[in-house]
Amino acid sequence: MSISGTSTTPGVSAQTVGAPIAKRTPARLRLLPRRWATRRAVWIGAGILGLIVVLCLLVPVISPYASDEIAGQPLEAPSPGHLFGTDAVGRDVFVRTFAGGRIDLLAAAIAISFAMIVGTLVGTLAGSSRRRLIDTVLMRIVDAVMAFPFIILLLALIAVIGVDRRLGPLPAGLPATLMAFVMVQWAGYARLARGQALSLRDRDYVVAAGILGLSRARIIVRHIAPSVARITGAFAVGDAVLVIVVLASLPFLGAGVQPPTPEWGSIMYDGRGFLRQAWWITVMPGVVLAFTGLGLSLVADALLGNRRVEA
Amino acid sequence: MRLRAWQRRLAVQAAQALLAALAVSIVAFLVVRIAPGDPTAGVLGQQGTDTAVAALRAQLHLDQPLTEQFREYFTGLLGGDLGQSVLERGTSVSSIISRSLSTTLPIVLSAMGLAVLVGVPLGLWAALTRHRAVDVFLRSWAVMLLATPTFFVGLVLILVLSIQARMLPAGGWSGTWPENLRYIVLPAVALSSHLTAMIIRTVRQAAVDVAQDQFVEAAVARGLPRRVVNVRHILPNSVLPVVTLLGISLGALFTGAVIVEAVFGLPGVGTELVKAVAGRDYPVIQGIAVISALIVVFGNFLAEAAYVLVDPRARRA
Repeated sequence: MSISGTSTTPGVSAQTVGAPIAKRTPARLRLLPRRWATRRAVWIGAGILGLIVVLCLLVPVISPYASDEIAGQPLEAPSPGHLFGTDAVGRDVFVRTFAGGRIDLLAAAIAISFAMIVGTLVGTLAGSSRRRLIDTVLMRIVDAVMAFPFIILLLALIAVIGVDRRLGPLPAGLPATLMAFVMVQWAGYARLARGQALSLRDRDYVVAAGILGLSRARIIVRHIAPSVARITGAFAVGDAVLVIVVLASLPFLGAGVQPPTPEWGSIMYDGRGFLRQAWWITVMPGVVLAFTGLGLSLVADALLGNRRVEA
Repeated sequence: MRLRAWQRRLAVQAAQALLAALAVSIVAFLVVRIAPGDPTAGVLGQQGTDTAVAALRAQLHLDQPLTEQFREYFTGLLGGDLGQSVLERGTSVSSIISRSLSTTLPIVLSAMGLAVLVGVPLGLWAALTRHRAVDVFLRSWAVMLLATPTFFVGLVLILVLSIQARMLPAGGWSGTWPENLRYIVLPAVALSSHLTAMIIRTVRQAAVDVAQDQFVEAAVARGLPRRVVNVRHILPNSVLPVVTLLGISLGALFTGAVIVEAVFGLPGVGTELVKAVAGRDYPVIQGIAVISALIVVFGNFLAEAAYVLVDPRARRA
């Protein structure tokens, strides 16, 4: 989904949009080193991600301070006692950053999973349906949803759902945000899954399964859907960058996770007023956020890149 | 009359764009109505009496059947009438949008220009340099840029260039040109960061591919100097994909513009949208959604049309 503006490699966006961008080189000679470089990128990306996940899990547990506890003087600069300094109230930014990371990562995982499931189902249905009408109608809806600037449709949906809608133990603001994310993002997966399902429909093993007399439902569920899910799964890793980045942007737009729950975006938004005196409140969570995006992008690029080499 | 191949192709693309515009209008119409929750509840809050709710529903035409509502909405849209704002009484939605677009469009367009001016040379450089370090550095830089959120780029620019170096204002908008030039620099740079990275990667890949084509080999064999080969043969072919990229990035640029406007406090479409979301001003939300999507659809069509017109191969196919 090229609307993301992040992480998708140009080649992939060209495929999804169907526009001619660059033809693939028959680069036999470059295959080996490129694969090696790809594998190295995966490890670097996975390492960065793993480190951040571990920190998010451990820091709030082993730190002497709670994330909403006043741990020192307001606006203390970073020091061994407070690695990322303290914020305007005196809360420890290091603890708040990694406690916030839990919310961001969890939200991304939830939103992506639901969007992927819905999108893969709809796309597989459209791609393997015999009726042109179903396919056409579904895909026109997908095109329409994807034509909207992502955040504009997202904000409109959040407004309609209501920021203050509660759902279980989720912090205020998150339920509406997650619902809106799923309602916008399924479209990208649907388009991808449809293309994949279409190309699988005439493969020998699918045709063979039909000749063997298996029901259409069984063929779709057992033979087409798993292959489709592999592709949408790889895409999902890159899509997670978009969710995390947009989720962190939402406090600047008066939406997203509501205070006092720490979240990367809301910490940075709070720090915005103190850029002059205390840059660390904004910059430190931002750097962690950027590294998370970097890790995810490296892994996603490698997964999608591998697919193209195989295909 | 028989149309030529490229004319037929343009006609098909125009028809597809019109269809997309129709679909977009329908989705924007449904978003406000199908999602859970009653629009009037948010506007009137707790103290909304039955008569006040009924009056507001009548004003928003929510008391009519859905088909009637759509007919009214669609004929209004065709005539440029998007209804009245609920928050700013007596102001039409279209005047709010045209007012705010005069801030957003310059930012989006200058970000595009900036990204092309910076991204194309850097992408070519990465592809054609003999120093591997330059290529690796530029590619890593592009990946880093893509991973960094736009609002963070904006905040860092404010921190470095306006708070510490005091070179440019940290935000604001003067409303008149050329005074705005001072205010537009940082937002445009922040907004262009993702697109620049995308262009670097696209141009680099295209140039690497083109450099292996036979016509380049032939040019080298004819004894043309490297510089001429690069500028006359490789450059035009590697810039072509950028045309398509600009088209499909338009939506992402609008998304970025909403965020950049919030960070720099600019009176653009994004700011109006945030205001409308906070006040549940549904006509404005719907209007901004449909107009921005229509701009994206139109931009995509322009990019595809430009591709057909610029690339002789696409014209023949």
